[in-house]
Amino acid sequence: MTSSDTDIRPDQASVPEATSLPTQSSLAESEDLPVISIGQFFQRLYQVTYSKTIGLIIILVTAVFVFIGMMLTQAPSGTWSDPAGRDQFMSMMHAKYGAWATLLGGMGFFHVFTSIPFFIVMAALAISIAGCTSHRIPQMWQQWRHPRVLVSERFFTAARYQASVPTSGKDDQALHVVQDKLKAAHYRVIRGNDTSLYADKYSWGGFGTVAAHLSFIIIMAAFVVSGLTGYQGIVNVFVGGSPVSVGDKSGLTLEAPDFNATYDDTTGRPLDYVSHLILRDGDTVVAEQDVRVNSPMTYKGFAFHQNNYGMGVDVSVKDSSGNTLFSGAVPQPYTSTDKKFAIGEFTLPDLGLVVQVLSPVSGTTNADIGPGQLGFAIFRDGESDAMATSVVDQGTSATVRDLTLSFVREGQFTGIMVRQDPGATWMWIGSILLVVGMTVTFTFRHRRLWVRAQDGKLLLASADKEDSGFREHFNQLVSQAQTWFSVRSK
Amino acid sequence: MLNLAKVLLDASLVFILLALITNVVLLSAARRVNRLAAAKVPAKVAVGAGVGGRSLDDAVTSVDAGMTDADNEAATPPSTKAKQKATPLNMAAFGTGFTIVAWALMTAYIIVRMTITGHGPFSNMHEFAVSFVWGIMAAYLVAFWRFKVRMLSLVVLPVAACLDFYAISLGVGVETLLPALQNNVLLTLHVGFAMLSYGAACVSFAAAILYLIYPYLKLKISRDKLDEIGYKGAVVAFPLMTIMILLGALWAKTAWGAYWSWDPKESAALVTWILYAAFMHARVARGWRGTRSAWLLIIGFAAVMVAYFGNYFLGGLHSAYK
Repeated sequence: MTSSDTDIRPDQASVPEATSLPTQSSLAESEDLPVISIGQFFQRLYQVTYSKTIGLIIILVTAVFVFIGMMLTQAPSGTWSDPAGRDQFMSMMHAKYGAWATLLGGMGFFHVFTSIPFFIVMAALAISIAGCTSHRIPQMWQQWRHPRVLVSERFFTAARYQASVPTSGKDDQALHVVQDKLKAAHYRVIRGNDTSLYADKYSWGGFGTVAAHLSFIIIMAAFVVSGLTGYQGIVNVFVGGSPVSVGDKSGLTLEAPDFNATYDDTTGRPLDYVSHLILRDGDTVVAEQDVRVNSPMTYKGFAFHQNNYGMGVDVSVKDSSGNTLFSGAVPQPYTSTDKKFAIGEFTLPDLGLVVQVLSPVSGTTNADIGPGQLGFAIFRDGESDAMATSVVDQGTSATVRDLTLSFVREGQFTGIMVRQDPGATWMWIGSILLVVGMTVTFTFRHRRLWVRAQDGKLLLASADKEDSGFREHFNQLVSQAQTWFSVRSK
Repeated sequence: MLNLAKVLLDASLVFILLALITNVVLLSAARRVNRLAAAKVPAKVAVGAGVGGRSLDDAVTSVDAGMTDADNEAATPPSTKAKQKATPLNMAAFGTGFTIVAWALMTAYIIVRMTITGHGPFSNMHEFAVSFVWGIMAAYLVAFWRFKVRMLSLVVLPVAACLDFYAISLGVGVETLLPALQNNVLLTLHVGFAMLSYGAACVSFAAAILYLIYPYLKLKISRDKLDEIGYKGAVVAFPLMTIMILLGALWAKTAWGAYWSWDPKESAALVTWILYAAFMHARVARGWRGTRSAWLLIIGFAAVMVAYFGNYFLGGLHSAYK
């Protein structure tokens, strides 16, 4: 063994570094704990971030959170933060889960994905991924650019993969032969000294894991961007009615001259929903197309998706100055407990009011609201008792508490999901990086080989992890070497 | 045409069961012989078990696949080689043949059905189930070709048979595609990747089960090999699952406007993915092997089944597709 030889044991060569955290015994021994410097403190903190055990625990805790969110009904977006919505949702959960609902709700299990603990776990996961990745990069760089070329003699008898091939010739010539052979097999070959060489393949393969791990952070960032920025809302457009504002101060309006829903005559299964939409930016028509579930319309980062449809009422509300506070289609998806009224609602956020609109269900008899009439009930947001009610005939208006309520007509509306999502781009970048990273990781695994020629023999060894694919490859290399040297010796 | 398709599907179930029975008989014989060999009783049955440290199972699969280990081949006396080709071992060819026929029938059924419907077999639970079985059988055949471990069939084929039976019980009637599913490219890619991934996960699961019950099997196949198959199955399943989820996100963005809505089925797929990610992390970074690793694979496949059948009980946007 030369003085430059480094004694590498197979386990050291095959298993990446393991940084030890302070053990309990070491802590117990130090009653008089030495004062650690700020640098050491952060060093230890950093060690925690790249601890593989902690990383594994965080991954499993994430799985538990997602599992809970999967199994339990989750409150629709925005419901939990709205006291009235939360109460209404919890009453439904009490009906579904009984007495457990209070406990589950108290633990935040009905809004897992917007709960503080979930955000903490996600943050911990991001930190762990960043810590592990940053910790591994220098090692991978070292393996890529400056691999350990020399190993001890003992390595050739203790490595997981090892073989000895008689060469029947001079050692340096044999090494040259192997060097050429490995190069032909697309190995990178580095001569260690006159009697040994190191060869590897896909030394950059480890960077696939860096890409894959980095992609998680990008995807998580995309979720944050999507959640905090952009716009999402459902615009109910009355079919054949006047244009409706898209919202979000976009200056865009949507008009739906036509809508068609077709069904299979035999089974009644829906075949197609299609809204013909006209999009205006100010007064200019900027887009017009048939929008289907899988064919959204897009304009300047906004996407318009077919979301729902149904029967509803076209209403408007004006204040005493004649300013329009609301105008558009209101779907009526709910039914009163006595099954007599179809109910819908909309909000007047500037006034802190909620307005319910009630129509008689076809085939029922109502003393309060007759056919062709619409009932308005005005509530203060969060209150359950109406502050004012009024019944209005179709095509007419009524004034209640300085508000002019108009019932334009009944008819069909189409619900269009409007979405502007700057996070989506990052999502796709992260996704591509994830797939590329995984492909590189699993397809181009770093393969290492140490070769030494001595005493008329060629020693080959590798300390890679047990893998039948690599074993076959290794055996094939050995077999080729045997054949070659056997031919040469003849 | 549908009647012909139904026959193909029924026949596939029959051949899966035939393959299973054949393999059970074969492996039982191997187990018996190994027990005799262990007790140093001369094996008078016409098998090549125990030669050069090989079990009947090894021998059977080697002969069956037309491949033999060079060392063992050299160590095998000519008389034993002749016996390896004797009648009992030909059952191995039947075991493999029945499996291939079952898979071919399933493939034929899918082609016929696609011809009728004009889209991939991914629009309802019947079609999902058929595709799932196809994926499982394909993954098993690849694993068998690669590793020559027939024992995997003892777990894989019952799972495939149950799902095939379930698919048949749902009826073969053709239904029109719901509007949200009317995206042939993404439908095919998203669900196609799911089925390939789940198939590989099933093989992984089979290896994990066999690893755990290994002490009771009394076969000479290396336990480490089962461990490796479990890992290799996950190595295939995990990236495919990743692509499946990302394609699902792309489709959700197209159809529903949001790439992720925490829909229960999405969450189920994510839980499954996280469990396999945990497995990979535990295996590669923490060096988990053996029992702990096997249990993670079993939990992972349980999550696959929950995600698969989730349309029935999880609710959400996917619940319409039954």
